[in-house]
Amino acid sequence: MKIISFLSHYRHGADILERIKTTKLGIVFVGNGIYHVGVSENGKPSPLLDKKDVSFYALIDDIETRGFKIEGIDKRVKPVSYEDLVDLIFNEYEKVIWL
Amino acid sequence: MGKLTIGTFASLVGSYAMDFAVKLSEAAINKGHEVDLWLSGNATMLSKKGQKSFQDYSYHLKTIEGLSSTGRFNIATCDACSEARGYHKDDTISCCKRNTMDWYLASCFTADRVLMIGGD
Repeated sequence: MKIISFLSHYRHGADILERIKTTKLGIVFVGNGIYHVGVSENGKPSPLLDKKDVSFYALIDDIETRGFKIEGIDKRVKPVSYEDLVDLIFNEYEKVIWL
Repeated sequence: MGKLTIGTFASLVGSYAMDFAVKLSEAAINKGHEVDLWLSGNATMLSKKGQKSFQDYSYHLKTIEGLSSTGRFNIATCDACSEARGYHKDDTISCCKRNTMDWYLASCFTADRVLMIGGD
């Protein structure tokens, strides 16, 4: 099953993602989830981004609202718009989760 | 084209989850899809009549009315949750239905994609 998961928090929700077993997983950072792609802690980026076989996305509106620059976010993450999200939901994935 | 059902159990108007649900609905409608938006819990306040627009405040009434006019956007609010919060049928915006959760369940079963957004 192909699952796309929205992650809207920085401090919690990531543990659930560790337990999801699926053929294809996409993680979309929205809201305060954006801090996963914009900040480092102890000099290291978010460990979530080291997860293998996952496609990472981040919502442009929320990146910019929080004062980050699109070109400054982690290179493993693709910036997307709401319109892109609609295409991902309908065309690339089958189930949608909100964390 | 397809149908997206969004159930939002978000916090009050102004919550991030509520803004996201409305913006995603708008993007999906603009792409030609159909959207059902279900409001539960505090999210029911989105369907209350008489909301005023202030700068820097979330205000979705015009967006919702516009989406409803396409005929591909259905918005429904939980009757019980609304009554529990003290506002009644006559205080609900005209483009919003009031239903029991059966409406949401039926919508999920006829949707191509379902997104349930929890409280924040």
